[in-house]
Amino acid sequence: MKYSFITPRKKTALTQELKLVLGFFSMTIFMLIATYLFLVFKEYQFTKNKADIVQKRYELKIAIEDMKQQIGYINNEVALSKEIYNHNSLLKESITNLFDLIPSRITLSEAKLLENGLILYGITPSKDTYNFMLHAPLRSIFHKTYTSFYPAKNGWYRFVSTNYVETVEVKEEEVTEDED
Amino acid sequence: MKINIPRQTIFLLGLSTFLLLFVFIFSFGVLIPKGKEYRIQNTEQKKEKKDLRAYQAFNDEKIANINLLRENNKVIISAFDNEFNPIKFKKEYKEYFSRLDISEQITVTAKDEFEIYEVNTTSEINSPKSFYNFLESINKSAWIIKIDFPINFKRYNENITSSFTMKVHKIKKKSKTTEITKVKNELFED
Repeated sequence: MKYSFITPRKKTALTQELKLVLGFFSMTIFMLIATYLFLVFKEYQFTKNKADIVQKRYELKIAIEDMKQQIGYINNEVALSKEIYNHNSLLKESITNLFDLIPSRITLSEAKLLENGLILYGITPSKDTYNFMLHAPLRSIFHKTYTSFYPAKNGWYRFVSTNYVETVEVKEEEVTEDED
Repeated sequence: MKINIPRQTIFLLGLSTFLLLFVFIFSFGVLIPKGKEYRIQNTEQKKEKKDLRAYQAFNDEKIANINLLRENNKVIISAFDNEFNPIKFKKEYKEYFSRLDISEQITVTAKDEFEIYEVNTTSEINSPKSFYNFLESINKSAWIIKIDFPINFKRYNENITSSFTMKVHKIKKKSKTTEITKVKNELFED
């Protein structure tokens, strides 16, 4: 027997209001947690990137230091090679000048080029020829010039000319000073 | 007056309050500090990336510099790397001498990052001009050679015997790696 004209609605714990509240908060909490997870992921990414950056910076620093060293080496090599090339060129000029200095009347038998001096052995027709034609230019180049003469069989003179720049001490007993 | 609130409404209000509190506590206690941290880290990382780009640019510039330097001085660099070879030397320079004898590399001295070998040479030349030509061509040789004193010239029949010292300069290989290790150690200490 019916006591009502309408069919009774089923009673449930999830009422419309509760559904609305749960829906609203679940969306809110979902968004909050999603944001939180995003931030956690980003933090992890930052940490990883930071390690990568530190590693790359370290490698670059090593590479830059290495290159600086290499540039230094190359610059040193270039400087040293230029110094050596200049030395060789100057040496060539010096030897050229030395041989140009010898007059045709004087014949050299030996020449010793030292770091700070020059020793010449040769033969000259007379002491005067030597003094005027070779001794004078040698004196203008070197600070100390000593010459020893020995008579040769044909009447000419053999000579030993020792020439030094001023920094060198020459033992006087080894050479006889030229008689001017 | 008695207010009659249904139990369902009280439950709903309690639940809403609890969830609202959770949202607030989570937002202010966790999310906002995390966000601030994110912002700081993001700024830091941008700065670090900028620094890294500057380093990279500097590195690229150095690479360009070193390549240009190597290109401009490749003959000198290879000459410093070359091991002195007396046979090859004699073959290359025999045209300037009637006779050329080279002693063994006798002395090894070290000057900074360079090794210096001393080679004594005795030779016979027809005229001083040959020696001038030799001195000119030595600067274009495959080695870095310094012709050093004492240089002796002695008349011998129609020829001139000459003796001189050659100092062959060579780069030390070890010093490069030692320097790099030193730099690495310094960086590790930092």
